[in-house]
Amino acid sequence: MAQRLHPGGRARSGERSRPRGSKRARREAPAGAGCLRAWTEENDGLAGGWRASRSSGPGRAAQQAARRCRLAFDSLLRKIQGLPAALPSLSLELTVLYNSLLFAVSESDGLVEGEAERINHGLIRVLEACGVSGQDLSTEELWQKVLQDVTTEELCAPLHRLGALQGAVWLAANCLGSVTGLFRLLSDTKGPLPSAHGGENELLALLKAWSVPVEGDTSPLVVQSTKDLKEILWTSAAFLQGLQGLEAGNLPTALSLLQAAASGFCSKRVLAQIYTCIGCCTQQMGKPQTALQHLKRALQVDFQCLSALSQAALVYRQLGETDAELEALALLYKALETPAQEAVSIDPCFLIRTELLVHTPALASLFSRSHPSEVKYLLAQRCLQAGRVGEAVEHYLDLLALLQEGPQHQVPLHGRSALPRIPEVFLEAASALEQLGRYQDAIAVCEEIISRTDDLIPETLRIELDSGAGGEAPGRAGSPSPGIPPQQRESLRCIVWRAAAYLHQGRAWARLGESKEAITRFTRCLNVLLRVQLVSAASIQSSEEMAEALPEAKVLQKIRLLALLGRGSQFQELGRDKEALMNFQHSLQVCPGDPAATSHLLRALWKLNRRQEAAALWQKLHADAAPADGQQEAPGRCVRPYPLYLVSCLKQVNLPHDESLARSLQDYLRTSGQDP
Amino acid sequence: APMPFVSVWCCSDKLCPCGERLQGQLGACLKTRSNLSSRLRPCGMKLTFPDQVWHVELLPLRRQLYILCAGNGIYCVSLDQLGSQAEDACPSSVFPVDADACIVPDVTLCTFTLLNDVLVTLSQAQGQWWMKLHVLLDPDQESQPCRQISQVGFSTCDQTGDDGDALSSHFLPVLCCASAPGTAGPGEGLWCSGGFTLEEPLFSLLFGIDAAMLDSPMILCGFPDGQLCCVPLKALNSSEAVDACSEVAGQVPPVKILHHLEEPVVFIGALRTEHKAPDDPDDQQLFGDSGCDCVVVVGHYGKMVAMKAERGEEAKVPEVREYYLQGPILCAACGGGSRMYYSTHSDISAVDLDWVSNASDPESIDNTAYVLPPVLSPASLSICSVVALSLSSRASEGDSELLALSAKGRLMSCDLCSPDDAHPIRLTPEKAGQRIKELLSGIGNVSERVSFLKKAVDQKNRALTSLNQVMNVSAALLSNQDGRKPVTCTVTASWSRLLLRDTWAISCMLENSSECSLEQGWTLCVQLFTSSCAFDEDSVDSATTFTFPIDQLLPGSKREVTLPLGSAEGTKLELPLTVSCALFYSLREILDSASDSYESLDDLLPDGSPGLSPDKEGICLPLSKCTIDILQCLRLDDSTVPGAPPSIATLSDPVETFLKVSRVQSDPSSVEVSDQLLPKAPDALGDEYLPPSVASIKVSSELLKNALKSFCEATYWAKERVCVNALGPCLPLRAVRLGLGTWSVPTDPPGQGLAPPVWKPGAGIPFLLPLLEPIQACCSGVASLLGQSVGSPPLCLGKSRQPVSCWAVGNARTHPLLCISLSKWLCEVGWGGTIGVS
Repeated sequence: MAQRLHPGGRARSGERSRPRGSKRARREAPAGAGCLRAWTEENDGLAGGWRASRSSGPGRAAQQAARRCRLAFDSLLRKIQGLPAALPSLSLELTVLYNSLLFAVSESDGLVEGEAERINHGLIRVLEACGVSGQDLSTEELWQKVLQDVTTEELCAPLHRLGALQGAVWLAANCLGSVTGLFRLLSDTKGPLPSAHGGENELLALLKAWSVPVEGDTSPLVVQSTKDLKEILWTSAAFLQGLQGLEAGNLPTALSLLQAAASGFCSKRVLAQIYTCIGCCTQQMGKPQTALQHLKRALQVDFQCLSALSQAALVYRQLGETDAELEALALLYKALETPAQEAVSIDPCFLIRTELLVHTPALASLFSRSHPSEVKYLLAQRCLQAGRVGEAVEHYLDLLALLQEGPQHQVPLHGRSALPRIPEVFLEAASALEQLGRYQDAIAVCEEIISRTDDLIPETLRIELDSGAGGEAPGRAGSPSPGIPPQQRESLRCIVWRAAAYLHQGRAWARLGESKEAITRFTRCLNVLLRVQLVSAASIQSSEEMAEALPEAKVLQKIRLLALLGRGSQFQELGRDKEALMNFQHSLQVCPGDPAATSHLLRALWKLNRRQEAAALWQKLHADAAPADGQQEAPGRCVRPYPLYLVSCLKQVNLPHDESLARSLQDYLRTSGQDP
Repeated sequence: APMPFVSVWCCSDKLCPCGERLQGQLGACLKTRSNLSSRLRPCGMKLTFPDQVWHVELLPLRRQLYILCAGNGIYCVSLDQLGSQAEDACPSSVFPVDADACIVPDVTLCTFTLLNDVLVTLSQAQGQWWMKLHVLLDPDQESQPCRQISQVGFSTCDQTGDDGDALSSHFLPVLCCASAPGTAGPGEGLWCSGGFTLEEPLFSLLFGIDAAMLDSPMILCGFPDGQLCCVPLKALNSSEAVDACSEVAGQVPPVKILHHLEEPVVFIGALRTEHKAPDDPDDQQLFGDSGCDCVVVVGHYGKMVAMKAERGEEAKVPEVREYYLQGPILCAACGGGSRMYYSTHSDISAVDLDWVSNASDPESIDNTAYVLPPVLSPASLSICSVVALSLSSRASEGDSELLALSAKGRLMSCDLCSPDDAHPIRLTPEKAGQRIKELLSGIGNVSERVSFLKKAVDQKNRALTSLNQVMNVSAALLSNQDGRKPVTCTVTASWSRLLLRDTWAISCMLENSSECSLEQGWTLCVQLFTSSCAFDEDSVDSATTFTFPIDQLLPGSKREVTLPLGSAEGTKLELPLTVSCALFYSLREILDSASDSYESLDDLLPDGSPGLSPDKEGICLPLSKCTIDILQCLRLDDSTVPGAPPSIATLSDPVETFLKVSRVQSDPSSVEVSDQLLPKAPDALGDEYLPPSVASIKVSSELLKNALKSFCEATYWAKERVCVNALGPCLPLRAVRLGLGTWSVPTDPPGQGLAPPVWKPGAGIPFLLPLLEPIQACCSGVASLLGQSVGSPPLCLGKSRQPVSCWAVGNARTHPLLCISLSKWLCEVGWGGTIGVS
């Protein structure tokens, strides 16, 4: 009916069969069609101008040009939509809407509500022109109605184009279901595609199957071709679903989707992100080498993709390749020192890009820029753990300087940060300094902690341990135990830090040969620890249970042991063997069966000529040692590791095996007739 | 209301233009919120800002003034530049602030604070508060004035809820900065206005060991909902969702809620409650090394919270004590001492948190040492209506000076002697003179207070009388819902001749048929909305309000007001025009003297009293509302007689006349009527004198929308429209000979495009044709249309005398509406609003 009355000999029915001819026909249309023609010319002019200007490349100028174009398209659209919808102008109207939305989406970056509303309005106008009411329908229903009811061939191409844009808007909002439904409608398939068998993703298959409307010369110009848009949609859909799979732990599916996405059409930045995600995925699947390959590719594609570097560091760590890991971290730190490159907000060639369509929290957290202080800490920590004390000290000192810098260098203190609590950083630094032999520096660093905690610890801290607190998984480090108020917990932590600082000071003084100073520090350490009163409920019996209920308790115990042993040794240095003995005995009470404590005690007893006791202890030690050896390394029990700042102390407290003592003990046992 | 600071600046002219002494006063003066456009006038020069000034800070290091203007952002004004401008300008000149001076354009900004070269802002967006950290860059080296470093969100403001919105909109959040001792050396000290240094145990206890070990200043933030939050300046970042309560992996989240005051926070400050040893040389400096030992937070309704480090044996926690002062508290100030000064509308009071000094027993000092007093006893300073306070210390004398700005704009300076030397021992003649001066000044203060109070009583009496009348009128108007209202307002639009120009005017006749008279204070508000086209979604309705004060309108009397809207050839009118009339009684008017009423009104109407507009402006009683369309401003203009002065055409409604003529012409039997109405009707002159008549009509889109609605209801329309649409774009005018009839399209396509559809006259519905012509084409198209059609009259007009009408609809903004009525005359399309017969 619409084609019946066409004055001026413009037989539109012939348009599809000979598009070129009809173009000429339209261009020569009489002045009576002025308005439609003028609008078409305006649209074509704008789109053509944009296409021509995009050779200038991204930048501020492109951004301004895009803004101008958006405003121009908007005003053109307003003009067209000012009139009631009419079929002959609808094709143009939908194209102008598409162009205007492309700019709007590209500019808004986050795809605001307004775009969806404008699509809705456009669809309602299409229905209006066809005499169908489209009020009170959801967008999904509108699309269904429009695509089913509007059979006008001319409108097919612009509607499909708009459909692709709608798909983009929905993808950006993570509405995969709606996108799938829409493309089912667009490809005119009722159920799941026959080709979409188990392996292949339905949406991707639909997108692939969707035939892009032919853009003849007749159609009004568009600023980004539907073919490009289709490719971008396909890549985004694959990437998005891959990310979702990765998040859900559905690794094989995620991998195949991400690999598909990598083969798609996207910018270098996104490609690097996809490779990084593949790297994460393969790493989680237990293929670190493959992961590394992908992460390397990510960096080759875009060196700004810093999270690939940090992921690579993680993988190297898993592989135990410390050199490579440290190198990666050092590179990462160096890259972070240069200011972040501004993200290109408008790429003139592709107004809609994958970056705009894929937003998930997982992606944001994976690609969030880490802080220099975090990376510096990781470097320092890994060096210390690997025993590279010299490097570790350098890094720790750098880090401490970084932390003291002004507010321009922000320090991540939030929960996801790699940085531990600040006093722990100081303690680790002190530990590293001590290991390097810079004892005075270590003492100074510890002094800082001591002075800061001075006013924060109460005279006595009474903590009641609830038996209900024990049910926690030991893997979750430091998660708050129920039942202990945070205020008390913080006080407890302060006590631990302060005691550890005194312990380190004592050890440093001991190394410097100042036994008296050392003894003072160890005593202060023990006094601080005495302020804690752990009152355990009846159900908590063993120290293991206690440690599980309150991880700090275990650390506390260990510090006490170390302080007692340290003090005992210093007493020995001074020749006050009896006091030393008392300290060692005490330490064995704190940690019954501790090999270090036992050997210290053994030696002290022997020195004091209390041979019988020594022999008994030695026998007991040997009896315990045999089964304990196997138990200690048992992988089944996940033991919470001691804080890094205590590790070196724990290592050094073990006495070297004294061959002569062992021999004399054996001799003694033989002579007393108690040889085992 | 007069601006409070205009008068302030009269006295500040005497002060040196810039420098330390001015700081406090500038701050004090501008922290007040005025209802009018805000002005800042340093050195005898006024700077005007586009909106209210909410906050001012001085950065002495750079000699810059930072000003937060509501809804605009932060402006940065250089004092040197101002000084040089002021020298050139005459004393009373007013300068609008340069738009380029806006360094942080952000409409959502609520407050900010400065720390050397760091700018911390707080804005409200997406239901959240956002604290952002900017670094001020050197303008010589960088292109931008500042760069954002990081931001953190506070999810506190959604708790205010619906009723809280009105409440919180009154109050701005309060930001201030607390630093630990030793973070700032004496020379290159961290400068922050309103900031303070906290003594060590308190700092660590309040803010945690991490902030203390990072040597990070803390940003304290008091929100209108009463929450007091803190965040370390060095860790002003958060992972995507800040959950202030959760503690993940042993980490303490950077944002910490210190307290919830449950009322808007108006002040955050710090005090030193413990006395130091007097021989300590550091004591001379109020901000000594160790800083303050007590943080105080004051809420608007009088709740005050003091936080101090407790010296208890048990777990170390800050002692938090709540006090209740008499509210509403407008502002507060504290210096380095143990006293805090706060101002309500009626008085300034001082509270002292140094409790130990009162204890006489040395034993008890040890036991109760360093504890906050259980009760506060405010001491009155008897200074009323102070809206801003600032405490400046005079280090040389050891005591301080309180600067207070009253609502009237008086800047007062009170010397606060320290409590120790409260009793002067001996009066020397100089001291006696000084003392007499002080006493006189005190008497002056008291007399001002008396006159203020007396005036307030008078005002309240008058206000009550007026309110009674207002209530009578309101009750009469509001209770009479269905029947005739006792006070009416009739709106008519007409052409009139004013100053030799034809103008189109709206006149509103206010008639008081009630029993009470409308007294002074009532205002007739006529609001004109130019509602834009319904098709244009982006259009913004614009409204203009005209107010006419009614001095007195006795029962039974009338008053007419006329609003000239435009002349015939003058500015274009946006039509249709909705005229809405209302009676408004400004409650501020009740209180007569506007400068004081600002506070008095707050006293009179407690927050949350129902039935008032959120800003408590007044009472509004709607009277009538009507829409004036272009048809109402049609004027039949007899311009056929050359040289004849244009007359006010007809006394009757021109539209009515026009329509009547149209109707007449459709009925040949009533030619006489037509002739009567239009004496020079073409028929009377014979065929050879049949000039095509030209009429210019603009029809409102509203009308057409309504018409469209009724058409849509008829299936007829939907069907017909399709065909017409197909015709539309390429149909030459000849085909648009439509009329009050129906179209029917031949079922068989005729083959050539020009075959007109068959039109059956008599259906009586004007046909609507969307004519797809853009505006330019429209204007020129009309000309050609006229040339074409008028030049060759034999359309189907001639003998049949069928009124042929064709309507084309356009967007009122993008295409002024096109309405063609082809009757015997061809009506031109245009916007002039006149019908001419040519």
